[in-house]
Amino acid sequence: MAKNLKLKAARAGHDLSQQELAELVGVSRQTINAIEKGEYNPTIKLCRAICRALGTTLNDLFWEENEE
Amino acid sequence: MKNMKNNLDEMQEAKLLQIEHNGCWLAFWGLLAAIVVELFVFGVENMRYFIGEWVVFMALCVYLGEACLRNGIWDRRLKADRKTNAIVSLIAGAAAGLIFAAISLVRYHSVPGAIATFALLFVFVGLCCFLALSLTAKEYRKKLAQLESEGDENAE
Repeated sequence: MAKNLKLKAARAGHDLSQQELAELVGVSRQTINAIEKGEYNPTIKLCRAICRALGTTLNDLFWEENEE
Repeated sequence: MKNMKNNLDEMQEAKLLQIEHNGCWLAFWGLLAAIVVELFVFGVENMRYFIGEWVVFMALCVYLGEACLRNGIWDRRLKADRKTNAIVSLIAGAAAGLIFAAISLVRYHSVPGAIATFALLFVFVGLCCFLALSLTAKEYRKKLAQLESEGDENAE
């Protein structure tokens, strides 16, 4: 699974650390880290929570054009 | 006791399920290995020495089988067809035959006796296994059809 650089950029754009975003969406820091590194595929529920916390959409953060 | 709050998030929950999955199969194969070793050491006639392991192993098998059947699940890779069931039964019969032939050879030092034990167990276990798999596969297909039709708006 590819790294989720869009999530990392959006989080940095909001000046949030992984820990702060994790607290906002109610998960552990290691889960946010694993999503950004592409090591964990989050559920749609968590994707939506992250999008809400960062004021963005699923398309912006989780859609990949050339996904295999 | 009140419902305790889950301390894990979804990724940790998935990891815990994977750990429990590995633990379950470790227990399954470990118990099977222990029973085979104890069969060699104590013999079938002294089953009382390892009845505990056998009961736990059978409970695990019944639970896994029943839970899968109830949820319309057969196997990740194997299909519930006659050919696959026959191959699995042959393998099970051969494995049981080999184990009991080896036990017979170790205890009675008779090669013809061991061959006869192998043949008997191969046929008996193979047939029983095939019968059990065929009946279970029939139930599985019935349950799968029921689950697939439930809540289908086109079927109303």
